[in-house]
Amino acid sequence: MLKVENLHASVGDKEILRGINLEVKAGEVHAIMGPNGSGKSTLASVLAGNEKFTVTAGSVEYMGEDLMTLSIEERSRKGLFLGFQYPVEIPGVTMANFMKLAVNEHRKAKGLAPLTAAEYLRLMREKSAIVELDSKLTARSVNEGFSGGEKKKNEIFQMAMLDPKLAILDETDSGLDIDALRIVATGVTRLKREDNATVVITHYQRLLDYIVPDYVHVLYKGRIIYTGDKSLALKLEKEGYDWLINDYKEE
Amino acid sequence: MRRISFDTQPIGAAVVGTGRWTLSEATPSRVTIEAGAEVELIIENQPAKLQLTLERDARLRVVHVITEAGVHSSLGVNLRENAECRVAQVITAATESGVEVSLAGSGASFELGGVFLLSGDQRCGVRVDVRHDVSDCRSRTLYKGVASGSARGEFSGIVYVAPDAQRTDSEQLSRNITMADAHIATRPQLEIYADDVRCSHGATVGQLDDQAVLYMRQRGLSLEMAKRLQIEGFVSDVVLHAPIAECCETLVEILHEKLQSL
Repeated sequence: MLKVENLHASVGDKEILRGINLEVKAGEVHAIMGPNGSGKSTLASVLAGNEKFTVTAGSVEYMGEDLMTLSIEERSRKGLFLGFQYPVEIPGVTMANFMKLAVNEHRKAKGLAPLTAAEYLRLMREKSAIVELDSKLTARSVNEGFSGGEKKKNEIFQMAMLDPKLAILDETDSGLDIDALRIVATGVTRLKREDNATVVITHYQRLLDYIVPDYVHVLYKGRIIYTGDKSLALKLEKEGYDWLINDYKEE
Repeated sequence: MRRISFDTQPIGAAVVGTGRWTLSEATPSRVTIEAGAEVELIIENQPAKLQLTLERDARLRVVHVITEAGVHSSLGVNLRENAECRVAQVITAATESGVEVSLAGSGASFELGGVFLLSGDQRCGVRVDVRHDVSDCRSRTLYKGVASGSARGEFSGIVYVAPDAQRTDSEQLSRNITMADAHIATRPQLEIYADDVRCSHGATVGQLDDQAVLYMRQRGLSLEMAKRLQIEGFVSDVVLHAPIAECCETLVEILHEKLQSL
């Protein structure tokens, strides 16, 4: 589904991604971990198409297409979803209205007619149940006055509404208490299917107790320096990153 | 073209009771809303040079819409004891508009929510001056301006609080967004001579929030849709709180249409 080859990306003069190689197949869950400043969020932003970053080398193939030729919204409409680390507030724009436009844009791209008001209402109720989101919150402005946990739940709600093929969740667990973590993780797990894939960028092992990854990658200074399975995450939690980084430096 | 069509009657020199009115050529330049009357006034693309006096306990709700160029207005509102006036102003065409308010009776209250949305090379100037001449009065001015293309918008407003106008409660806010080569000048002023007052004012001129646009595009909205939605959100509170509830839907439509051309 996703094939990243030797990806280099910079912001201004500063190179942040220094040759990323990553392959994600349908049905898989990948976790990306690594110390702060390693480029985890940058990788997410570059895959989403944030124009702030420049790709200087390498390629990304998504569903057989060159991802780099597509705009942010085109990538979204082809099923790429980014769960933001810091979801913004959009005053005056209700969640319900925002999602209705988004859902219908996705449908238009597939040649489908927009949902009727009744169909849309039903969809919203169904999907807000998945993340135990109070459906009253959809009448409020997007993320306005939401706590950190509510914002993250809201990201998963939007993921449920848009049903992506590839979901990249950037630090979806940061700032969450145990209950919110459980709800977010359960939501993500409920949305998992054989035909979609998830890349979870996380700092902490505990999310991976709920969202069990097939692969765990460690990102350090813009490169993936190690790939293992879920036991790697446990080891990193116990021992930190130093042992790995030292190992890597010695090579 | 009239968008807001209700059963209105042209307003006369003295208004009593309740009713929904509009202006006509025969409307005198001075109109009195008699004590205790509850009046709605809809002014749509009509030049207006009008001085309104609200006697004690009178209530006036105004919806003022300018969607055609070159229609100018100058409204004066004088409020006696416990009178209340609420105004919503929506401007999407070139115009000069002035509102002068005098809170002349204790307990009087004035609220104005306005929006101007300009595109191309449209120019508009809006003035809202409020005088607190006596104690215990309340005023709220909230004006939102959006300009794109090479349009020019101007907001100016003086809130004046007289030396004896104690326990004045006043808020004045001018918030603006510019896009492309447009320019908005905002000049809110506060002149306070009493010492037991609560007066706040603020003015901002900014750009669209890039992060919000990015967020919306990542959910599949085009760049244009994301910008329009953000602006719609920015101005929506003014129209949703319009003092004549039945006008809200039409006001929302007017703004929505104008946004397509921004």
